[in-house]
Amino acid sequence: MKRSIARQIFDSVFAVGVAFALAGAGIHAQRGAARSSVSRGASVNRSASVDRSASVNRSASVDRSANVNRSASVDRSANINSNVNVNRNVNVDRDVDVNVDRRYGGSGYGCCYNPVGRAAVATAAAVTTAAVVGSMVHSLPPSCQAVSVNGYTYQQCGSTWYQPQFQGSSVTYVVINPPR
Amino acid sequence: MKSSTSRRALQTTAVGLTLFLAACNRQPAAQKSDAGPSASPTTVGTSGQIAHTVSPAEASTTSATSTERDPDAIKALERMGDYLRTLKSFQIRSVTSRDEVLDDGQNVEFDGIVDMIVERPNRLRAEVTSDKQQRIYFYNGSSLSIFAPRVNYFATLPAPPTIRELADTLTSKYDIELPLVDLFYWSDRKSTDDIVSATDLGASQVDGVTCQHYAFRQEGADWQVWIQLGDYPLPRKLVIRTTTDEARPRFASVMTWNLAPSFNAAAFTFVPPADAHKIAMAQVPGFAERGAGH
Repeated sequence: MKRSIARQIFDSVFAVGVAFALAGAGIHAQRGAARSSVSRGASVNRSASVDRSASVNRSASVDRSANVNRSASVDRSANINSNVNVNRNVNVDRDVDVNVDRRYGGSGYGCCYNPVGRAAVATAAAVTTAAVVGSMVHSLPPSCQAVSVNGYTYQQCGSTWYQPQFQGSSVTYVVINPPR
Repeated sequence: MKSSTSRRALQTTAVGLTLFLAACNRQPAAQKSDAGPSASPTTVGTSGQIAHTVSPAEASTTSATSTERDPDAIKALERMGDYLRTLKSFQIRSVTSRDEVLDDGQNVEFDGIVDMIVERPNRLRAEVTSDKQQRIYFYNGSSLSIFAPRVNYFATLPAPPTIRELADTLTSKYDIELPLVDLFYWSDRKSTDDIVSATDLGASQVDGVTCQHYAFRQEGADWQVWIQLGDYPLPRKLVIRTTTDEARPRFASVMTWNLAPSFNAAAFTFVPPADAHKIAMAQVPGFAERGAGH
């Protein structure tokens, strides 16, 4: 019985993940990364956000210890994470970092804390109800067209327009109103 | 059997160290207590360690006040910075690995290569290639361009007049860290104030080059640097362990230096390919409101 509930949870998370991947976006199941410098000037911003994610991490570990009681689910949560990795591979262009609610100041290569469940649900919702202007994704849906307006490139995907941008060293796409 | 021999070796080393310390400082009573904690790292390190740690008389005073801030290790770091400051131009290839922490706390490692040419004070070109992304940074003293060849996007920004200022601006305004940015901070000012622990771990080989291996601790990071021995005290290896995440992700860089690089000025200015797309550069939210201007 317990097992089947856990399986259901796993399946639903998996389904969300698949829907998410099919929608052309991905999840970066990443809560942080190693800092790549030690100098004070270089790490001022980062230390602030690292602290924040550190406190989130602590709450995450509380969840994990809860799962430890049901030893079977420990393995499943590991599976969930590996599914997330599958999503990342689904991105044709791996040159993206998928963090829907990216925290600034996370790292040089672009990454940061990102709660999987929350991101998956939030983005899946965004996908089904068309893209909300101002929302951000880390990869585009299929069959978009690059359009140049005033020297900048935009991506038109059906009726939705995206503005590609460097955010940190990552490329992200912001949903915008048609630029012309 | 094995444990008894190793214990004997430890005792012998400790005794030897105590005798050595006593001979040096003529304070056997005070030094005997110091020999205890310093003996155990000696057995880990190389034999050259003994002579190195003992020589300064302040060894006894530092152990009493700031826990383990070996002044020689700090001095070595400063000497490296001083030396870096003298380099007019250089080329580095860094083989880099960086852990990312998954939600369940597992560290996964991503490897990459950084190729960088620097001409002080205002030219830099860096190509960063990893499994996940490829970026080329061009800085010519007046503008910075970022090019992402795989997706064929680029952005160009006006830039401050020196590499150091560029590093500051990129970090605070755009959340971009120049590759191996410590090199520019180390060479530009003394950044040893944050260090709460400094240890000399003895000689070590990096790519066949003899280096001195140092370990430092500061808030948020435990890190190690391997500094080339001799007249060219270059950092050859850097390892940083982030201590604010319980997973303690690790960053490592092994650097190969060329102190006589050949390049021309065109290398530092980006000329976009005909089919490349210019895109925007997102600022850190709230940056403008913080009064830093445009």
